[in-house]
Amino acid sequence: MDNIEIGLWVTGGLLVLVVLGMRVAFAAAFAGLFGLIWIFWARKGYDPSEFGWALEVAVKTAGQVPHGKVASQALSLIPTFILIGYLAYYAGLTRALFEAAKRWIAWVPGGLAVSTVFATAGFAAVSGASVATAAVFARIAIPEMLKVGYDKRFAAGVVAAAGTLASLIPPSAILVIYAIIVEQDVGKLLLAGFIPGLFSAFVYMMLIIGLALVLPNFGPPVRGFTWKERFVSLPPALPIVAVVVIIIFFVYNPFGGDAWGTPTEGGAIGAFIVFCMAVWRGMRFAELKDALIETAKLSIMIFSIIWGVLIYVRFLGFADLPSAFADWITSLHYSPMLILVCILLAYAVLGMFMDAIGMLLLTLPVVYPAVMALNGGAMVAAEDSAFGMSGPMCAIWFGILVVKMAEFCLITPPIGLNCFVVAGVRDDLSVQDVFRGVTPFFIADGVTIALLVAFPAIVLWLPSMA
Amino acid sequence: MAGGASVLSDDSLLSRLDLGLQHVERAMALVSGIGAFLLMCLAVVSVTGRNGFNEPLPGYVDWIETAMPLIAIFGIAYVQRLGGHIRMDIVVGALKGRPLWLAEFITTFAVLVLMVLLVWGSWAHFDRSFDMTRPMWSRDSTIDLGLPLWPAKLVVPVAFSVLCLRLVLQLWGYGRAFVLGLSEPVAVPLVMSAAELAAAEANQVKGHD
Amino acid sequence: TEWNVSVWGSRRAFTEHIHKLADLVAEKTGGEFTMNISYGGLSKNTENLDGISIGAFEMAQFCAGYHPDKNRAITVLELPFLGVNTLEEEVAVSHAVYDHPAVAEEMAQWNAKMLMTSPMPQYNLVGTGEPRDELAEFDGMRVRATGGLGEAFRAVGGVPTSVTSSEAYQAMESGVVDTVAFAQHAHLSFGTINTATWWTANLNPGTVNCPVVVNIDAYESLTDAEREALDSSIDEAIAFYLENYGELLKQWDTVLAEKNVQKVMIADEELARFQDIAGKPIHDEWITSMSAQGLPAQELYELVVGTLKTARASN
Ligand code: NA
Ligand code: NA
Repeated sequence: MDNIEIGLWVTGGLLVLVVLGMRVAFAAAFAGLFGLIWIFWARKGYDPSEFGWALEVAVKTAGQVPHGKVASQALSLIPTFILIGYLAYYAGLTRALFEAAKRWIAWVPGGLAVSTVFATAGFAAVSGASVATAAVFARIAIPEMLKVGYDKRFAAGVVAAAGTLASLIPPSAILVIYAIIVEQDVGKLLLAGFIPGLFSAFVYMMLIIGLALVLPNFGPPVRGFTWKERFVSLPPALPIVAVVVIIIFFVYNPFGGDAWGTPTEGGAIGAFIVFCMAVWRGMRFAELKDALIETAKLSIMIFSIIWGVLIYVRFLGFADLPSAFADWITSLHYSPMLILVCILLAYAVLGMFMDAIGMLLLTLPVVYPAVMALNGGAMVAAEDSAFGMSGPMCAIWFGILVVKMAEFCLITPPIGLNCFVVAGVRDDLSVQDVFRGVTPFFIADGVTIALLVAFPAIVLWLPSMA
Repeated sequence: MAGGASVLSDDSLLSRLDLGLQHVERAMALVSGIGAFLLMCLAVVSVTGRNGFNEPLPGYVDWIETAMPLIAIFGIAYVQRLGGHIRMDIVVGALKGRPLWLAEFITTFAVLVLMVLLVWGSWAHFDRSFDMTRPMWSRDSTIDLGLPLWPAKLVVPVAFSVLCLRLVLQLWGYGRAFVLGLSEPVAVPLVMSAAELAAAEANQVKGHD
Repeated sequence: TEWNVSVWGSRRAFTEHIHKLADLVAEKTGGEFTMNISYGGLSKNTENLDGISIGAFEMAQFCAGYHPDKNRAITVLELPFLGVNTLEEEVAVSHAVYDHPAVAEEMAQWNAKMLMTSPMPQYNLVGTGEPRDELAEFDGMRVRATGGLGEAFRAVGGVPTSVTSSEAYQAMESGVVDTVAFAQHAHLSFGTINTATWWTANLNPGTVNCPVVVNIDAYESLTDAEREALDSSIDEAIAFYLENYGELLKQWDTVLAEKNVQKVMIADEELARFQDIAGKPIHDEWITSMSAQGLPAQELYELVVGTLKTARASN
């Protein structure tokens, strides 16, 4: 059996383990270690006396990965981005944002729902994780919408869908993970997420306004705020703006000249500002401790998947599967765009059953080289490429597309974590209710993804300036 | 999602061991969290030094790389205790009683085998960087400051060893539940539907806004 | 026999001798002995020596400055201002040092045997912003420079901030570092030249030493014919490498013009001051600290100086 066949068998085995309910991080590591043993033993012709050697080499090879891959300055963004979200919550920024959004934009049809989308987009600018964002806004926004007569299912759906914005609008843990896996510039990817994130928010808004105009019993607009009330609502939400500006300047200086530092530093300075604000707002040590433990739990959960999957990826390297898959994809006689669309559809199906990070980590090592090869190679010039963009730009564009797909999967049944979380916060809502309420947003996300595919400039304009 | 799952307790030996180990695990998770906090402080110092005084922090990258294993791995057993590592529970979620405990026992056992092997592998990784006869016992160091790498590498087998202890307790818990046919065993994260798990997760942010 | 070879980055002048070696060996053994060269799939670049010691792959390339503690003896080749002027001289001194028993012994601890070097020209800086052409401007400069080069810049107030070569572009682009010291091929293949505005043409502070090693067990279990094919191909592989790198250097000025990168010449008195501060004192310090660790440091140092003299004389 050649290495590629071993690669396929082990990959199949990994999927079985995941379906059977083994934790994704451990299933990937298990499959990777098992595969390494297999491949080393195969090199010795399955000689029983060499099994011990194969086991030892495989174990030591896998044993390098957790420390080796985790000790990375680029990955240090992840805990920082998570910490900032928890601190923002304790600093009262979520409530402040929602109040400001309500007073300023709730007068449009479907007003409170639109406000929720924008407040969430604002919070997304300090939060790096979608699920945490959805959990926070379910507490704040849903009761307000229910008060003015929204359908509770729809109110829940708005929050679940809007929560996904947190992973496109920087900071975003999942964009960092993508950048690391494909070895692209983290800063440019974060920058690239900005406009598609706002664009998604805009499409959500159009959808809500459209529904409000068509449906008779939709939530009414909320009017009657004085200008004074509006302006008073702004100062408490201002730290968000400060944090957004800082993160942007640390990634890319819009006035020309050098960026102020690295995205890691930008995230950390942002977190520090929010931390100071939380302390000023009276955060106690016990609350800080909670925030730190929650940050640790979420970070460790994400990092476990990272090193677990990277053990599997190390095995793929020995099996040479990614390049074989890339060769296969490029040998197909279909148009590259058709193949790309098929890949995105495959993500939609896979995402029904998996969470976003695990899905990306498991698939990218194989799919990403294939997509790059499809475009004409990692270093191809725009004029020679299949998608009309250079290799590095294609990496960014595809990154935003798959992250948007992964976020879409957070609201699709049967496994849609954002919907679970929203249902979890509200005792009066079942998961089915939230899935019902979020359904209109499938259309919005479909439209967004189609437009991002058709007009790559939406994604690439900002990073190509940097 | 990392989430709270419910772990029941009573006054049995297993439950007391579970709670005892939990103290250690939670302390380790707090160390991870404090590490993330210090990372933030480090960046503030670095940026201030560089932009304010033209004095960049020497070895900024070295310190980050040394701290990351502590942040990303040290508290791993605590997450396992709470059932916080994500998984697909379409199949497991449909099981009840003995079949469920059997399924949990088997996958947990596989994880234990994996982690014992990884303790070996990560210890070997540490051991290659450690030499008592060298200055700072170091046979591998960071690029700029020459900080010894062995302490950061040692974090991994230590954290994984605690995880192995946790897995042994969970195996005991699942095994006991299987043999006695329990419906609500102690010392294991009780299988909740994904929705219930998310509810517990969401509960953590209740009452703070 | 099939060998796995672990290198990193993408195929470039720096790895051409390995591809040439693979071709030659396959040819000489009629396809019996092949090499499967993997760019980053088998190991992280700073862990290639670990992978060799484990036996995960049979051949690998690594750079001494990534982990001086793993390979103390050959760090003599990374001392700043050694005065190596050509790639041929670099090959001569490297291979002389590789043949020293202290090097062989230290490598044997990793189950590794030195095969050949990957000679590189002087590591000059590229940077963004205003050119730094005076020593005073190195104060507070965050420079990606490993090993002895890092020491040299530290001696004049620089702050070595080192990521591995694969991460150098990102570090420069995102502002982790102000300048990057690389050989020309690496400025090209890792893209640092694309984001730079200037390049120091004559700073010439030294270079980095990156050997290719093989796993001892794998080497010994080759058949006689295979081992003979491998050993006899090294000189030709190196010759091919030198020729190929020479072509690259010839085109370097064109590349600079194309990328609109300013060529910075540093005044002779500035260079002399840099050498005074970062040359001899760092050499002496290296000899003292390595001797204290029980290495024949003086001997290694003199081997470099002596070989360099002989190599010059023979031209
Ligand atoms: Na975000
Ligand atoms: Na889903």
